Amino acid sequence: MGVMPHDHIELSLEQSLDHCIKCNICTAACPVSAVTDLFPGPKYVGPQAQRFRHERQPAPDESVDYCSGCRVCNEVCPTGVKIAELNARARARLVAERGIPLRNRLISRSEVLGRLGAGPQAPLANLALGFGPLRLALERVLGIARAAPLPKFSRYTFRSWFRRRSAPMANSGPRRQVVYFHGCATNYYEPWVGRAAVAVLEHNGCEVIIAPQRCCGLPLLSNGDFAAARRAHEANVAYLAPYALRGVPIIGTSTSCTLTLKEEAPELLGMRSAMVRTVAEQTFDIFEYLRMMYECGELRADFRPIERTLPYHPPCQLRAHRIGRPALDILELVPGLRLVESHADCCGIAGTYGLKREKYQIGMDVGAPLFETIRRSGSDLAVCDSETCRWQITHGAGVAARHPIEILAKAYGLVI
Amino acid sequence: MHEAIVIGAGLSGLMGALALAEAGLRPLVLAKGHGATHWASGTIDLWGKDERSPRDALRSIVTARPEHPYALIGVDAVADALARFRAVTEAARYPYVGGMDHSVLLPTAAGALRPVALLPITMAAGDVRAGGEMVIAGFHELRDFYPPLAAANLAAQGIAARGVYLQLPPVPRVRDFGPRTLAQLFDDPAFRKQIGRQLRQQRGSATRIGLPAVLGVRDPLGVVADLQLLSGAQVFEIPTLPPSVPGIRLFNVLRAAIERSGGRLQIGSEVIRAEGVGHILTTLCSEAAAREQQHRVRRVLLATGGIAGGGIRTNDAGLVRETALDLPVRMDVNHAGWFAPRFLDPGGHAIYAAGVAADDRLRPLGVDGWPVYENVAVAGATLAGADTLRERSRTGVAIATGWAAGRMLAAYGCDATRSY
Ligand SMILES: Cc1cc2nc3c(=O)[nH]c(=O)nc-3n(C[C@H](O)[C@H](O)[C@H](O)COP(=O)(O)OP(=O)(O)OC[C@H]3O[C@@H](n4cnc5c(N)ncnc54)[C@H](O)[C@@H]3O)c2cc1C
Repeated sequence: MGVMPHDHIELSLEQSLDHCIKCNICTAACPVSAVTDLFPGPKYVGPQAQRFRHERQPAPDESVDYCSGCRVCNEVCPTGVKIAELNARARARLVAERGIPLRNRLISRSEVLGRLGAGPQAPLANLALGFGPLRLALERVLGIARAAPLPKFSRYTFRSWFRRRSAPMANSGPRRQVVYFHGCATNYYEPWVGRAAVAVLEHNGCEVIIAPQRCCGLPLLSNGDFAAARRAHEANVAYLAPYALRGVPIIGTSTSCTLTLKEEAPELLGMRSAMVRTVAEQTFDIFEYLRMMYECGELRADFRPIERTLPYHPPCQLRAHRIGRPALDILELVPGLRLVESHADCCGIAGTYGLKREKYQIGMDVGAPLFETIRRSGSDLAVCDSETCRWQITHGAGVAARHPIEILAKAYGLVI
Repeated sequence: MHEAIVIGAGLSGLMGALALAEAGLRPLVLAKGHGATHWASGTIDLWGKDERSPRDALRSIVTARPEHPYALIGVDAVADALARFRAVTEAARYPYVGGMDHSVLLPTAAGALRPVALLPITMAAGDVRAGGEMVIAGFHELRDFYPPLAAANLAAQGIAARGVYLQLPPVPRVRDFGPRTLAQLFDDPAFRKQIGRQLRQQRGSATRIGLPAVLGVRDPLGVVADLQLLSGAQVFEIPTLPPSVPGIRLFNVLRAAIERSGGRLQIGSEVIRAEGVGHILTTLCSEAAAREQQHRVRRVLLATGGIAGGGIRTNDAGLVRETALDLPVRMDVNHAGWFAPRFLDPGGHAIYAAGVAADDRLRPLGVDGWPVYENVAVAGATLAGADTLRERSRTGVAIATGWAAGRMLAAYGCDATRSY
């Protein structure tokens, strides 16, 4: 049984219990407790239940498993309690006590799934996953919700595209090197997001390096499989540290991967080596990075007008970076383009949460206000930085959903 | 480079951001979390320490206590802020009534009476001086709202009141009936129809019915109108314990107004440090994943809520500090004197007067009496010079100084004062 290490994070979590003044602001903001009684709210399962969690004693309460990990509680807490971290660790203890269900083992291994489905066999895999009876069987046997939005595998992986493409014409002058962290979603499902990212970065004078990389481990963390998450993060740090140590930034289009490299993995797993820290400090969301270039006057502004008003949903995992809305900051430079922020708390998918049979409907109910906002906007296109949220938005609101980098590539007139 | 950053998303920060946004400066609001909006009653309390009207009280403060936040900005600036506040809430279909001429006495959930200057119209029929028998109605499921207790306390003060419990119609939820859950239920017309019918049966000879302030998040006016029609009595809201539904509505109204004028909110970002050149603050640093986020900025409004909001911290070594910009804090009493022996001491606790001293442009003052920064203004509960708890002036000081600070900051660095 894995006992949580007593580290400084554990300590700060314990101290943050005392900062909870029981004001219930988090309960009022929690999108999950808003729609179901199965989750009594962040205050109860976080700072309150934590008082009853002791090593060598059974977990007092299982409802923490219904926390979606969206971190809205952290965002709104007036006194700075780290509720989401308390919950994630509590879930990991629950998992350590009871083991990980096969279903959760499966859906948290996005790399394995991706390798199975992406490539020339993709049409077949997609056909299978679109086949009702099979989905029913998956639901019955494994507990993967039949209606849940599973992405379509790509016929080619992003990495294979990158390897095969003809090298870009070298611009004159020195180019700044950047490492692109594509993550599983871009590699196996949406290579066009990575192509847009590469195009925009190269357009702005960057030399894009695709370092070896593994799944960031977030699905493992949110399913409580801390041991596997640690292995994933150790591998990524080994791959990325040589660049980070040289000051080469690591740029990602998946807000969850970048958050995991920056904070989730080091904090939840208690990994504190200098290399881990350097990788974290050198990791950027792509728009965060572009915004820095803009602030230094280094971002190209040769935008073509896009006369559109689009709904934009800042995903929970982006908000957890605490860096504002970098995609809005950059896209509002594009003439004619207007993005309207959703203000919905969460789309409900929360990574793998909404895929689970017992949580699918909760996820849909959580997302309902967002879907309604998007539908009312009348737009046939929504913008969102996170892949699973885009799939959920398309599933719930019935409109296409794009990564903001795709919009920016279009504004630059880049062919991808 | 930001033209303006507001630190804090309580009433003072939001009003300041509104002023800056309406001046075209596209302010960014950085806040550690939600402010007291989500805790407090949703009313605007200008003055409640004695029987004087807010206008009279404020006039005398201006002459008698020049360091009081009201005195720093003057009575006209307070009136200006109230006018803008009323216009914004009215435009959002959540109108406030009242003003500086007199306070209204509203019942609390415990049946005490509370002087209020500006109140959402959904609370207006609760004015105890207006006369008319009251029914206080609630739900067993809602913790911390006991109609019989409230009614008994009101009756003891000579206000005819009766407490009743309503039957919660069958709803999918069985647990956690906090204010928000109930407010969501009231958003549903079918739910309030059932409540309205019960109110009609329970009304008796009463002409008005007080309910916990959970009458919908989206369209409280519509909810009150429906309930009045169905019950045949006037209906009013009584603030609950936190979370405050009226406060959430007010936050939503102000956020929407700020964003419409080009401002933006970044909640969950604590400002931990500032850098400046001489008397000009140039950079703010906020806490973020893996590293600080830096914000270069031309003007800053500090509205961090004082001790209750986290803008002022003490430690057990007796140190009092301002958390975001590390400004000097005025605190005349030493550690041993921070607290009176009794929790509800009529003299209050000295520590609550701790705050940042400011000049008449609300610029923070150093120990030498000169502004620490030219391009910073301070507003709300972080200001020194008043025990707003005991004055019952906290929200009044928050919106008045927030608005005034925003207006003055907007004019900073411009030759002519901008008008809008
Ligand atoms: C339970 C309760 C009930 C109340 N009821 C009433 C009432 O009925 N009438 C009344 O007049 N007043 C009431 N008050 C008080 C009143 O609401 C507030 O004190 C007043 O509104 C102060 O507003 P503010 O904007 O100055 O600060 P706050 O509303 O406290 O806002 C402070 C903001 O600053 C942020 N912040 C703090 N430090 C930092 C930092 N370092 N970096 C970034 N952000 C930071 C906080 O997260 C918050 O967003 C009540 C207060 C409480 C707690």
